[in-house]
Amino acid sequence: MNVEEPSNASPSREERIAEAVDMAKVTIDDEQEKKSNIIVFRLGEEEYGLRIDQIKEVVITPRITKIPLTPSYVRGVANIRGNILAIIDLEDKFSLNNTINETSGYTLVVESHEFNMAILVKDVPNTLSVADADIDYTPAVVTEMHGEQDYINGIIKIEDRLIILIDIFKIITKDDLKTVLGSKI
Amino acid sequence: MKEEELKQIFLAEAQDSFEQLNRLFTQLEKNHADREATEAIFRIIHTLKGNAAAMGFEDVASVGHLLEDIFSEIRKGNIALTSMVFNDLFKAIDKLGEMIEGVKVNKKVPYKGMRAKLKVILRNLKGEIEFEATQGGESSEKKDKELDQSLQQKLEGELTESQKEALASEHPVPLGVPLADEFSDDEDKKSKITFSDFVQVPVAKLDTLLNLVGELAIEKDRIIAQGASLGATNEYTRLYRITSDLQYSVMGVRLVQVGALFHKFHRIVRDVASIENKKVNLDLQGTEIEIDRNVLQIISDSMIHLVRNAVSHGIEGPEERKRNGKKEQGSIQLKATSDKEYVIIEVIDDGNGIDADKIRKKVVEKRLATPEAIASLSDDDVVKFIFEPGFSSVDNVTSVSGRGVGMDVVKKAVDAVGGKINIKTVLGQGTTFSLSLPSSMAVKSALLFIINNTEYAIPLSFTEAVISVKKSSIHKVGGGLVTTHLDDTITVMFLRDIFDCHTSDELQNPQLLHRSFDQIEDPEAKINIVVVSVDNKMIGFVVDRLLQQKEIIEKPLGKPVENARFISGATILGNGNVCLVLDANDISEFLFKPTFATV
Repeated sequence: MNVEEPSNASPSREERIAEAVDMAKVTIDDEQEKKSNIIVFRLGEEEYGLRIDQIKEVVITPRITKIPLTPSYVRGVANIRGNILAIIDLEDKFSLNNTINETSGYTLVVESHEFNMAILVKDVPNTLSVADADIDYTPAVVTEMHGEQDYINGIIKIEDRLIILIDIFKIITKDDLKTVLGSKI
Repeated sequence: MKEEELKQIFLAEAQDSFEQLNRLFTQLEKNHADREATEAIFRIIHTLKGNAAAMGFEDVASVGHLLEDIFSEIRKGNIALTSMVFNDLFKAIDKLGEMIEGVKVNKKVPYKGMRAKLKVILRNLKGEIEFEATQGGESSEKKDKELDQSLQQKLEGELTESQKEALASEHPVPLGVPLADEFSDDEDKKSKITFSDFVQVPVAKLDTLLNLVGELAIEKDRIIAQGASLGATNEYTRLYRITSDLQYSVMGVRLVQVGALFHKFHRIVRDVASIENKKVNLDLQGTEIEIDRNVLQIISDSMIHLVRNAVSHGIEGPEERKRNGKKEQGSIQLKATSDKEYVIIEVIDDGNGIDADKIRKKVVEKRLATPEAIASLSDDDVVKFIFEPGFSSVDNVTSVSGRGVGMDVVKKAVDAVGGKINIKTVLGQGTTFSLSLPSSMAVKSALLFIINNTEYAIPLSFTEAVISVKKSSIHKVGGGLVTTHLDDTITVMFLRDIFDCHTSDELQNPQLLHRSFDQIEDPEAKINIVVVSVDNKMIGFVVDRLLQQKEIIEKPLGKPVENARFISGATILGNGNVCLVLDANDISEFLFKPTFATV
């Protein structure tokens, strides 16, 4: 995971980013103990997590260009290191309270050969090393949520935190995005 | 294609084959039973021999032919390899390399001794295993003679008397006895390594290179724009020149001659003509015109479709042609011409042309338009209906054309590369399809403008004019808007209206195209219109503000937004912003689709 730091950011941001990098390094060292590294970020009032291998880097949200006739959670496209990526707003997608500010937030670039996309987040995400035992793959809980079970991987419980582990590719490969965008033959 | 160029291509391939042979022989020497290597060697030698014979390099062809014979037997399992043989085989390969080098510098390399030696090897190898050696030897020798004869025919007239004598003097060499001058300096030659003057590069690497150059060009724009604000423009002229030189060089590397595609049509035309019992002559023109390799690849299927159509539907049968006072043999011409940034490829046939009245009937049958609407259209406009999806003008589906791939697919492919397709047809005299294709996909000129504080671009190939009109001169007609431009009535639309939509349902709102227009209160208000021409229809796009004309590098949008409507791709501007490139074809389709027009 790389963390980009544009020159105009405030020192406090730099420190926070450096912290995140350090944490990432430390947790990678611990890998022998059957632990998963999870990127944790806040959406609405909940904490969500993604496996570290699904994320390429964290950047400060660049200027986003809207694309006509796309679902509202596709905020548009942006230029990240010369690549044109679709910017996804998961708060909108999951119908959560909107807490993300497009002009001051961060963007997680998704690691993929197939998809060119990135996810908006509010703060620099933390990296958490989670023992597999702490991940609760409980379909009984999640199947009750309306058709959302397939992209929820499980629930991580550490102390009193609850982190929803999601699979970003399952969100995007869901049909709803295709039908709206695929209206063009 | 020019002789010299063919020779260069042959040499590049031959040298590559030579290196592969060396590698494979070493491999085979270690493991005599390596079937894969044997097969590969056989294949490579076979190709090399064929190419050499076609080019008239009789020495390479002849030695290649013998090697092929040997390996053909090894392949069949008729003879087994021994270590002893390998020394001779390596020598033969070296000889082959020498001869290829000889072709390069136009120097004759004596080879008859080697040929004789190989014959002996062939005979001995076979003799060790079976006793019918003579039979095999004979057939091989017979073939050899045939080859020699055909080569001799090719060369006749080209050789001077002295050369012929030299060749003749080489003949009476006893079998199996190497000539002193041929083998004495073997050691010197072996240590010489030759390199091809050509490098084969995967297209993917070129694509990456082009992307990088594209990014560099964007950075260049950004830095120069910054410099201009500091008043230091001169500092950057060198940077500007080098980057644009680099860009054009990389684009140049990707260019291939259209001949690469055109030459394949000899066979296609012949095959289709023979199935259809027609006589067709194919004439190629402008094969040396260069075009981006990817453009050529994308339209190659369309070209095949057009040419097949021309043979099977365009050209009439011989009897019918005679009756109409034409030559029995039909003619198809593929013609490429270069026009600035574009390459125009024409498929011209002298067949029966397209009957507009038949098309009219078909259009009504297929309910693509109402009888009244189609009656009011000119013949030229009617003929364009063949590009509509689901239209196929042929009554009977044949094995050649009409397998579900319609002309609409051809048009889609041409649209995809940002080109245009036109059709001219004269009943009884023939049809011309003309494809106007960008010579390079990488850079295109585009007009930048602003709508809702967002930059958009439209390729200049679509734009006709930029006009500014008063609100009062735009009128509501039905669900849309029109104005007058150069005495023509053109459809006008506020792009903002469709870009503000979030769902496809909103697009069907009948008042949609009046929305922004109604919001403007001052009848004197100036409205900026970019006039574009799509399929010979003129449309005026209303924009908030015009920016500039600029060279852009368009990239397609990736997943998950690859199918976004009205957008063909995006480019990155000097300021780092992403700028969407409009798909004028798609917008035109939306405007003139029956579903909307009938509302």
